[in-house]
Amino acid sequence: MHMATTSAPQPIVHLSHVDKDYKLGAVTVSALKQVSLEIAPGEFTVIAGPSGSGKTTLLNLIGCVDVATRGEVVVAGQDTGKLSEGDLTRLRLNALGFIFQSFNLVGVLDAFQNVEFPLLLQKKLNGAQRKERVMDLLHKVGIADYAHHRPGELSGGQRQRVAIARALVTYPRIVLADEPTANLDSVTGTQILDLMQELNREGTTFLFSTHDPHVVSRAGRVVRLVDGRIVTEPDEQSQSSHA
Amino acid sequence: MFTLLQIAARNLARNRKRTLLLGGAIAIVTVLLVLLTALFNGTQASMLRNATTLSTGHVNVAGFYKITSGTAAPVVTDYVKLRDIVEKETPGLQSLVVRGRGFGKLVSDASSQVAVVSGIDIEREANFKNILEIVSGDVNRLSEPHAILIFEATAERLELKIGDNVTLSSQTFRGANNSIDCKVVAIAKPLGMFSSFFAYVPLQTLRELYSLDQHTAGGIQIYLKDWEQAEQVAAKLRIALDKSGYRVMDHMDLPYWRKFDIVKREDWTGQKIDVTTWMDEDPFMKWTLFGFRALIVIVFMVLLAIIIIGVMNTLWMAIRERTREVGALRAIGMQRHMVLAMFVTEGALLAVISSTAGVILGVIAAYGINAAHLKMIKGFQMVLMSETVTLLVSVPTVLLSLLVIASVTTLGSILPAWRAARLQPVEAMHSSN
Ligand SMILES: Nc1ncnc2c1ncn2[C@@H]1O[C@H](COP(=O)(O)OP(=O)(O)OP(=O)(O)O)[C@@H](O)[C@H]1O
Ligand SMILES: [Mg+2]
Repeated sequence: MHMATTSAPQPIVHLSHVDKDYKLGAVTVSALKQVSLEIAPGEFTVIAGPSGSGKTTLLNLIGCVDVATRGEVVVAGQDTGKLSEGDLTRLRLNALGFIFQSFNLVGVLDAFQNVEFPLLLQKKLNGAQRKERVMDLLHKVGIADYAHHRPGELSGGQRQRVAIARALVTYPRIVLADEPTANLDSVTGTQILDLMQELNREGTTFLFSTHDPHVVSRAGRVVRLVDGRIVTEPDEQSQSSHA
Repeated sequence: MFTLLQIAARNLARNRKRTLLLGGAIAIVTVLLVLLTALFNGTQASMLRNATTLSTGHVNVAGFYKITSGTAAPVVTDYVKLRDIVEKETPGLQSLVVRGRGFGKLVSDASSQVAVVSGIDIEREANFKNILEIVSGDVNRLSEPHAILIFEATAERLELKIGDNVTLSSQTFRGANNSIDCKVVAIAKPLGMFSSFFAYVPLQTLRELYSLDQHTAGGIQIYLKDWEQAEQVAAKLRIALDKSGYRVMDHMDLPYWRKFDIVKREDWTGQKIDVTTWMDEDPFMKWTLFGFRALIVIVFMVLLAIIIIGVMNTLWMAIRERTREVGALRAIGMQRHMVLAMFVTEGALLAVISSTAGVILGVIAAYGINAAHLKMIKGFQMVLMSETVTLLVSVPTVLLSLLVIASVTTLGSILPAWRAARLQPVEAMHSSN
């Protein structure tokens, strides 16, 4: 651990004055405008906003799968604008976890193998250590009994649990999720949210997006996007002021 | 990474119909290649067997003798000395025979034809006796003076049967005309396309025709343990003979009977030795085999191109179906080269399994065809010098086919796999559908 010079913990994500433009032929779409944001360890933060407001774009920049047009995006201490494709991939593997709206598991691998996959890419643990880690996570997300089922044999909620286990298996600094409950019914969605909240209490940092006001209400902190800009609402000002 | 192999295998298994279709095509192409190359090998073996029975060894040490600069006789003087050197200097020697070389006209009451006439010592021609199929008469009677062996077509054309006389006439090497009467002692079945232009008499009879003494011969036909060494052995013999004091002719890829006019025009006299291989002495066979090989290559290229297109197409489809999965894997930290490896593994696995299956089926089919003793179509019989389809499966050829097909199809998967590796991880972020 680095010795911090200030008492505040080092932020995991730090964005300052970030713009993201998309070129569509002659037209330039400005998806993010002057976005500045910090995410500290332990947060359970929601990015809220109407459709087209830039939630996915913002998560893509933080997730190191896209780069900013202007401004600085620092993730886990690294300025992503200065990294090569290979370095960005390594950063994603080692510092980030991803949960997708449509789960995106490998169809031909069973739950255990899907969760194990990032560990195989990391090449840090041996077989026994991997097994222990994977089973531990499958227990945590409550589907240890389905370890040898393929995604096709699992319900949407179960698949998302596998995806959560996969996102957490490398002990990432932060887990990113773009509308993780959008493809689930409300009961299952709530269960997934409960699970994420519980994992957050155990120390995992979450940043996810949603349309759903019900989900927003459970967030520790809300970042509201409108038209590519962060708007700070009066009652949320106190929560985000410490950043 | 074993998981990549597992992913590849399971994805192939999951898309069973597609896999079977393409895998079947690869297997069929492999079967075809195995059969075609086996047919080539079989044809080559039977052509070589025929040619080396009729008129050439794997390597020949012969030559020309020029009494004056305007003449040319296909003769070596003191063949015993030459034979001793050859026996000593030929690596991988199996056996050798001494033959006389002549070229003349066969004249009967009914008709006449030109013929390449070889003088042989039948007692030392075990191989010749083995391979020739005698229709009537007795090949051993070639030991009798003025006996002659002809092929069926010649017998028909000249209306000859066993015991009949035929006049063999030729120009001696001094330019005079000479002829002798020979008695037909054996008639043989055709041995390839050109066998009817060949006739055999005792070596001593040929010497009489050309007024040569008994120390002369046409040349020495050398049979090697490994005929593929012919070129190298010929090159070695040229050097060895040169060192032994012989004048050795430069290599020309022509049969000896096409060298007369060339040698006649040359300005030297006395003895020169000419070392040739079966390819020089039988250009027809050489070009037939060359054409056959070219045909195989062309057919094979076309089939391979089809397979490559099939593999690429199939992988495109697989990649399109799994775009989101690939995007997700890239997002969670899979490097580009691993994605490439994942899809190439899929292509390679399909290629290896189906071409291996193809090889096994092909070899079984080849043995089946041999066992069935299929008759060749008439036209092919002539060209390929064999009555039945004989396939010769050779292990190196089969392994080479396997290697080529498997690696080329694998290569075909690289382009689509490379495209997959370029997929952006954001593809995984696209909302549902
Ligand atoms: N790849 C792209 N090319 C061009 N324009 C894009 C691209 N991705 C996003 N945009 C545009 O950028 C803006 C923000 O899009 P984004 O997907 O980030 O919104 P969002 O908040 O995630 O919306 P939703 O709630 O519908 O998912 C939109 O105007 C969108 O059309
Ligand atoms: Mg979105």
